[in-house]
Amino acid sequence: MAATDIAVVGYAQTPSVRMARESEVQLLVPIVSEALARAGLDRREVGFTCAGSCDYLTGGPFAFVSNLEAAGAWPPISESHVEMDGAWALYEAWVRLQHGDIDTALVFGSGKSSPSKPEEMWAQQLDPYYLAPLGVDPASLAGIQARALLDSGKATERDFAEVVARNRRNAKNNPNAQVAGDYSVEALLEAPYVRAPLRAHDFPPISDGAVAVVLARGDRARALCDRPAWIRGLDHRIEVHQPGMRDLTSSTSTTLAARKAGYDGGPLDVIELSSTFSPQELILREALGLAADANVNPSGGALAANPVMATGLVRIVEVAQRIVEGSAHSGLAHATGGQVLQHNLVCLMEGD
Amino acid sequence: MAEQCAVIGIGQTHHKKKRADVSIPGLLREAATRALEDAECTWADIDAVVIGKAPDAFEGIVQPELFLADALGGAGKPMLRVHTAGSVGGSTFIVGAHLIESRIHERVLAIAWEKQSEGNAQWGLAGGRGRGIGAGGAFAPWIRAYIEKTGAPEYIGWQVAVKDRLNALKNPYAHLHLPDITIETVKESAMLWDPLRFLESCPSSDGACAVVLTNEANGKKAAKPAAWVAATAVKSELGQFPGRDPVRPQAGVECAHDVYTQAGIGVPRQEIDVAEIYVPFSWYEPMWLEGHDIAGPGEGWKMVESGDTEMTGSFPVNASGGVLSSNPIGASGMLRFAEAALQVRGLAGEHQVDGARTALAQAYGGAAQYFAMAILRNHPA
Amino acid sequence: MTDVTTPKENLVMNHLVSLTYSEELTPILERYVDALIDGRIVGHKCPQCGRVYVPGKGYCPICVVPTTDKDEVEVSDHGTVTGFTIITPVAYYGQTETEPFVYASVLLDGSSGNLGGQDIVGVPHDQLHSGMRVRAVWKPPAERSAEGVSNRGWGSVASVIDAFEWTGEPDADRSVYEEHIF
Repeated sequence: MAATDIAVVGYAQTPSVRMARESEVQLLVPIVSEALARAGLDRREVGFTCAGSCDYLTGGPFAFVSNLEAAGAWPPISESHVEMDGAWALYEAWVRLQHGDIDTALVFGSGKSSPSKPEEMWAQQLDPYYLAPLGVDPASLAGIQARALLDSGKATERDFAEVVARNRRNAKNNPNAQVAGDYSVEALLEAPYVRAPLRAHDFPPISDGAVAVVLARGDRARALCDRPAWIRGLDHRIEVHQPGMRDLTSSTSTTLAARKAGYDGGPLDVIELSSTFSPQELILREALGLAADANVNPSGGALAANPVMATGLVRIVEVAQRIVEGSAHSGLAHATGGQVLQHNLVCLMEGD
Repeated sequence: MAEQCAVIGIGQTHHKKKRADVSIPGLLREAATRALEDAECTWADIDAVVIGKAPDAFEGIVQPELFLADALGGAGKPMLRVHTAGSVGGSTFIVGAHLIESRIHERVLAIAWEKQSEGNAQWGLAGGRGRGIGAGGAFAPWIRAYIEKTGAPEYIGWQVAVKDRLNALKNPYAHLHLPDITIETVKESAMLWDPLRFLESCPSSDGACAVVLTNEANGKKAAKPAAWVAATAVKSELGQFPGRDPVRPQAGVECAHDVYTQAGIGVPRQEIDVAEIYVPFSWYEPMWLEGHDIAGPGEGWKMVESGDTEMTGSFPVNASGGVLSSNPIGASGMLRFAEAALQVRGLAGEHQVDGARTALAQAYGGAAQYFAMAILRNHPA
Repeated sequence: MTDVTTPKENLVMNHLVSLTYSEELTPILERYVDALIDGRIVGHKCPQCGRVYVPGKGYCPICVVPTTDKDEVEVSDHGTVTGFTIITPVAYYGQTETEPFVYASVLLDGSSGNLGGQDIVGVPHDQLHSGMRVRAVWKPPAERSAEGVSNRGWGSVASVIDAFEWTGEPDADRSVYEEHIF
């Protein structure tokens, strides 16, 4: 094991809910404490803290500043923030740890989607000159992607429904999931279209949630955790923004990120994908070359709970937790940013 | 042992109140292209992009880096978006430097920007509500407290305002070129946030700043002299809590000592040749001189009064004209780091401070609670 | 150095966007507002360090321990001005002010932290100073509402307390307010 080996040694997440009465920072405070406690790390020993959130999601400029209270930023701390899913905050912390001067980091991601209307707000995430003024909304873009996938012959509507059924069934075992249960594919296929060919169940739920992770390096990781979830590889890649200028039926950036992270296509015990619309799971499975019987989204994935800005980091936690608890040896977690899989991150983890 | 990080390319836009001649992608490409040319690199040479800006609400685009990926040669590359309020330009530089120092990438483009004319920063700062206080309104009471505590004479702020704008006349990229500015004109200008007057305050600018960062081997091979990153640090503290000192924030003191220690600097006042410090309102020059232990308590304003911080003085501050002369908010922090780098590379042109070998760069943000600092040198460690 | 010539200006398109955010007040803020409407100002006292936060946050940001209704304490509506400025308003979409207004921090007796952004009335602007003893000017009960309070921290008493006014007492000692500027 090299000194630069970095592992997940602590974690905690809130159950995702349709609407939390607590504010975002009130959601964060207890789980940050819980993650540190699980790692047995005193807050004051943390070498670097990094958070992921989105001002527009929280509903105001500088909204991220309030979340600093969850980090325990007094006395002053070495800390940064990305306007991205917490998975990228973890990336920044992972980079920082490789400097060699500190050996622990605290990472968190959070978001309350309940106060805003996603079709209004995320529509402003698109090119402000050419797309946003047209009123292009994320559900419609996802619908276009789904249509393209059907037309390519790579998937059928039944495949979409099977993704939903599988994820909701898996979610029954996840106390943090929001949408769970047994649904027959036939029943799902009878539901009306919302953005053809997408039906309501092909969409992610609207969720409020937060997640925290503790990272440690080398010997410190071993001291804090009996079975650290070592990050064997971590990479992310972005694609062209204009949806008309890329193939929406494939995820080349996910394939590239996985390769750069060192994924060799071999078997993995668990895979967690941030596919927020059901067709995206099929696209990502193909991008990663996963076998049909791969253990994908035992947590229920983003279709069961989608705390935007935390969803990707939750995927990392779901994989790490299984390694730390001993039910898995190897895993891959995926996070996505932007719309229709524009930006993708792959985190490969392994136990000893 | 971390890799050394070298700054081999620097580019910035002509900062103006309204750059109606370029779209946002055009603004960024202007800075990035200049940085790439300076570095004698192409877009293809860049391994990763780190981008920073102030809150998205300032232009009304959610996560604009997503659409800017196209303009910045981002396809197929990693892209990170940093957001740490006013210090973001500095922390964006630092995140880029970390990618080099950790040996993850060989060449990183770090870019920061703001196109305030395409939005409304006053609306953004007010959270879209009435009774907004802007940024100056938040700092004015603390400035008042500094003046009362130190007994500093009222003209110190005016002096800084004049100094920075006259320095800016030597910086072709600066937004404000006010050749006729004097102590009198500053004193007579409208009161905005008592005690801060209009001419003591930063402008609202459109602008971008980009740097090309690379490792030791490439830095040594570069055609032009590189600037070498001797130290970086970020420190944050809670913005508001009982007993907090917002005038001399502890995070600012600790951040400074962190970079001084890393760079082996014992007496910053003597061992730093030139400083680029985020001074958006005149009084922040003496306040940060004290807040980073360059001057002792109550001595910061005396450095200003005696002319120490002039370009010809013993501790030149903001030879570029600083934030008081150009303030594309998201980029302002990176401009400090870029201008500090230009100084130690000997490439600051008319606003070059002779013999600048060690430079301090500082950016701050939020309720004076986020700090990003670096020491840049003209040689690797 | 030669100046940059400004090329022809590009076409500018106005894209006005209105986004609606609806949130229920957090339970703690609901209690806070109920008390305000009732004419009382309440906060949470940290069980570990004893600092009093008005309004309560549900945790102490210094100790990072939870606080609950059990930690609720009442504070006075009298306090000390710890810092202030006078803002000259600028025009922007949504601006409500047209005349210079006071923006002051008030340390209520019993609280550890300030109430920010308060107006001080009945005092000429050039006589405002830190250390002034002030008391809340409450709206008549029938006019009080929850409207000004939100989870965002914008406007913590605005729809219940109009402003603060000088009490007529001598100034507080510097030691009372000098560590509570913000």
